[in-house]
Amino acid sequence: MNTENVDGLTVALPAGRLDFGAAAPFQQQLEQAVAAKPRGLIVDCSSLDYVSSAGLRVFLVAARAAKAAGIGFAVSSMKPAVKEVFDLTGFGNVITLCADRAAAVAALA
Amino acid sequence: MVTLVEELVLLAIEDDGSVAYTAGAPGFGMAVIGAALVELNQLGRVDADTQALRVLSKEPTGGAALDRVLAELAAQQELPIDQAVRALFIHAPEVVRLALAALAARNILHFEEKRFLWVLKSRRYPITDGREQQEAKLRIMHSLLGDELPTPHDSALIGLAAAGGLLEAFLSTAEIARLEKRLENIGGLDLIARGVESAIQDENAERAKAAMLPPY
Repeated sequence: MNTENVDGLTVALPAGRLDFGAAAPFQQQLEQAVAAKPRGLIVDCSSLDYVSSAGLRVFLVAARAAKAAGIGFAVSSMKPAVKEVFDLTGFGNVITLCADRAAAVAALA
Repeated sequence: MVTLVEELVLLAIEDDGSVAYTAGAPGFGMAVIGAALVELNQLGRVDADTQALRVLSKEPTGGAALDRVLAELAAQQELPIDQAVRALFIHAPEVVRLALAALAARNILHFEEKRFLWVLKSRRYPITDGREQQEAKLRIMHSLLGDELPTPHDSALIGLAAAGGLLEAFLSTAEIARLEKRLENIGGLDLIARGVESAIQDENAERAKAAMLPPY
């Protein structure tokens, strides 16, 4: 997973499929990103094609870790197949979901 | 440490060792099956998306209740989560029995069989060590009354306990109504638990429809 820094925010860029096999390394990378104490953490899903139940769980774990560390957390730029999973489970009620990265940066400003 | 399946079973046991009346409804059985699927997902034996629940590995977990569900799931065709839960529902009593046996083996509860009028049998499961049941209730209450995000385990526990009608065992109807929004927000964050909720709704709708059909 690539990461970028934007105005003190860490932007994580998962790509491809986020299933059981990919979930543990993805979770480890997000936890490392939180441990670095950025101003906020954005997961930009523009290159993510698929998320399973195991992959979805990682977003909850990362959001909890960010909240506990006092770091803003947002998920952005989801493709329709990924957004469907987030919508179905109501993640938008507890985590900031944004249409694009600019909106996520603004939400964590 | 108790499993998610065992926690749900413990929540169904009343203070006197009797099983809550809600445990007789289909919702409880489906919630127990859902708990097994969530655990199998966490152990890498299955994974799920909006299309299907898939077996990744048939390797036994060592837990009798989970392995029973895994074996049954591996023997059936791939189905969406809600349909898989309904297909597995007939095995729920066996899964509950295996979970009760595992809890008894660890001395968390014990079996008691009584007879009324020398004929009618009544089985109870008095809790020997109430810490696990109490802890599950406290974690649910903490998540519902606070504003923190729950752990994935607790989110699934809350969603499945609510879907299975188990919250009524320790929360009043008024309290459940007051917490409805919070319940909806944090109890549905697990895709499999959401599928269970959908399966229960479908099952209840079908039963209601069947009950309204004329008898001839």
